[in-house]
Amino acid sequence: MTAPDAVRNGFWDRLQRIDRRWIYAVIWLVVMVPLILPFNIKPTAMPPVSRLFSHIDTMPEEKALVISIDYTPDTQAELHPMTIALLRHAFVTGRRVGMLATSVYGLGLGEEALRQVAAEFNEKAATHEDSVINGEDYVFWGWSTPFVTVMLGMGERITNVFPVDYYGVATESLPITSRIKNYSDIGILMSVAGSSVPLSWVAYAQTQFDVRIGCGATAVSAADYYTYLNSGQFTGMLAGMRGAAEYEQLLADKLATAGSKLTLRRKATEAMSSQTTAHIAIIVFIVFGNIGYFVTRRRKS
Amino acid sequence: MNISTDPWVWIAAILTLAVFSFLYRENPFYRFAEHLFVGIANGYAITFYWHRILVPYLFNPVSHGQKLYLIPIAIVGMLYFTRFIPKISWLVRFPIAIALGYGAGANIPRSIDANIIQQLKATIITRASFADWQQGIWAVIILIGVICTISYFFFSTERKGIIKPVSYVGIVFIMVGFGASFGYTVMARISLFIGRLQFLLGDWLGLIK
Repeated sequence: MTAPDAVRNGFWDRLQRIDRRWIYAVIWLVVMVPLILPFNIKPTAMPPVSRLFSHIDTMPEEKALVISIDYTPDTQAELHPMTIALLRHAFVTGRRVGMLATSVYGLGLGEEALRQVAAEFNEKAATHEDSVINGEDYVFWGWSTPFVTVMLGMGERITNVFPVDYYGVATESLPITSRIKNYSDIGILMSVAGSSVPLSWVAYAQTQFDVRIGCGATAVSAADYYTYLNSGQFTGMLAGMRGAAEYEQLLADKLATAGSKLTLRRKATEAMSSQTTAHIAIIVFIVFGNIGYFVTRRRKS
Repeated sequence: MNISTDPWVWIAAILTLAVFSFLYRENPFYRFAEHLFVGIANGYAITFYWHRILVPYLFNPVSHGQKLYLIPIAIVGMLYFTRFIPKISWLVRFPIAIALGYGAGANIPRSIDANIIQQLKATIITRASFADWQQGIWAVIILIGVICTISYFFFSTERKGIIKPVSYVGIVFIMVGFGASFGYTVMARISLFIGRLQFLLGDWLGLIK
């Protein structure tokens, strides 16, 4: 073997030319193993999450939580746990919930979340008052278009924008309608989004009607939204799966403090051990990749 | 191990694996899953618009002689389809002009307020900014970051004198922003992968609860 060949076949050189499929294989392993054999991680809530939790927890009882399903199945893994955690928090604290979707592909996700969480609470309910009932405690308005008209129209009267709910029932006939008429009855509107829809809620609903907006965003969008958090345009923010896990932890702490026996599956928290190992693996890749780059460049020069 | 017996779970699992097979190389299974997804997504949206929008909000009331003002609006909307008839394709400009006019009129004043005025207000340092010393430090850092970053994008004059060091500091802020975005992007992509593995290992194979 000649000297240049030896240089080209050194450890760092081979690392620079590594087949990307090996990297995929490592990522598969470091994500899959902790899912099967998880280790305990207790997420610590960051200020944007704790601020949002505390706002929903302490807002006046007659004010409703409205969740806008602004995501589609492609971002379900990150955002769906947020919707579930928000619904649970609202029902635990006896808040009324309104839900809508700004995309037709989000409708099924919203309906599934409501069905799942309502069933969790109704299984444990001993009386009618403990139950969570469609049309009384929550309403799924469904979808309407265009979303600008929806956002502006909800400030006047929600039933004008959604004459019938997702199930085809006239919204005027629902008991909850007398309690949630427009933005003035809403304590916070949570936009759980895989796109820039939360900024539209700020522009149309908050600027004109002064309603509080919270944001559940994919981690990709989170960095862009911090400016809106800093300006106070977002009351709080859940950033990616980690944000959902932090919210789940705050809710679990609240239930534990209240002595509740309600045990709820925390899908985002379960994912945190995989998230941690994957991040460590990627940091190692970046460090090794950079060392390899500088070593091979020095050799070449 | 408690493998699912639900055929829909099996279909979803097989399609997930077909999409992941692209990580190895381009192959017919991946292409099948990709085309199936596009077709189903479009089919779902079209049928949804038809059954949940056009039928209840347009055809039903109009066929009963109600809300007749919707007829000219629907005709204007249908002008979008004139794109397929070259001789009268210019008519498509009418619905586009109406949509653009409505969109711009509704958006511009509110965007200026939400994205410029409110954001500018948030960078102004007042005595209240120093009510808490940590908050005060962040307010100063944000102000420095905004000024330096804007100066980096100030192309009307040559970058020399005071502009030069200030714009270099702006580059540091921009790089920190890129780093944060990249970190968040990694977290997002891993989260999506975790979601699929939770489905494969949990719902499908029953290896995790």
